[in-house]
Amino acid sequence: MDENSTDMDENNTESVGDEIQSTPIDNDSKAVNIGSGVRVDGRIEGAETSDISGTLTGTLKSSNININSKGVFSGDMSGQEITISGSVDGEINSEDYLIVNNSANIKGVIEYASLQVSYGARIQGTLRHRGSVQSYSPVSTDEVKEDEINENHEGDQ
Amino acid sequence: MALFGSSEKKPEVKTEFMFDTESTINQSTLAKDIKINGSLESTDYIDFSGHLTGTLKSSTINLKPGSYVKGTITADTITVEGEVDGDIQAKDIYIKSTAKIKGNIRYQNIDIQNGSIINADLFYSS
Repeated sequence: MDENSTDMDENNTESVGDEIQSTPIDNDSKAVNIGSGVRVDGRIEGAETSDISGTLTGTLKSSNININSKGVFSGDMSGQEITISGSVDGEINSEDYLIVNNSANIKGVIEYASLQVSYGARIQGTLRHRGSVQSYSPVSTDEVKEDEINENHEGDQ
Repeated sequence: MALFGSSEKKPEVKTEFMFDTESTINQSTLAKDIKINGSLESTDYIDFSGHLTGTLKSSTINLKPGSYVKGTITADTITVEGEVDGDIQAKDIYIKSTAKIKGNIRYQNIDIQNGSIINADLFYSS
């Protein structure tokens, strides 16, 4: 992200130069850091860690996501380890664990494998456990039902 | 409480009291082997380990591990360690790691421990 590039470059040029000389890329940290007061619209993919203290609207795919207490996110996010302390409006898809702190305010659909919510957090929406969801609505059943309905209609005509 | 005399025989329940005076608190304990079809209502405290299909209403409800409730649960404070299929409405809801919930949850404050399996719609109301 451009917003944090000055910060990141300062931190990383040193470490890259000292330790990982074989890497030709300047910044290989795969980190996204949106500071408070910064607004970003768009799609972020391939990040390893994302720290959001500003406002992000769009899609975020990152293995590790932190929406800090000042952070505001709207859109779809997916990752493995997600921690929410701020505000989220949209879809959260966590493959590993999702931690919702007491300052969090979430509206939308949450799909999770392991969920921890602190007393005081506000969640408005739908919770779906990853393991269960797949067994509840297998695609094949829907297809069969549709086929049956179609056949019935044909029969009627 | 007289209805469930069998469960009151367990003396260890008394040790769980965290209130000043026993006499002012009505605590009911429903054991594992109890199955209810219908509604269960209390003004104070229910420790529930059985199976219930219907409605459960009290001030404080503890749904113990192994318990199963299908229907509507209303209380000020609910702790869920068992399985619920239906609607839960409470001011404070504590969902423990052994809990399994399907349905709707209406709450003011919620606390969820990791390990619990929840497939539900959450409604926050202040």
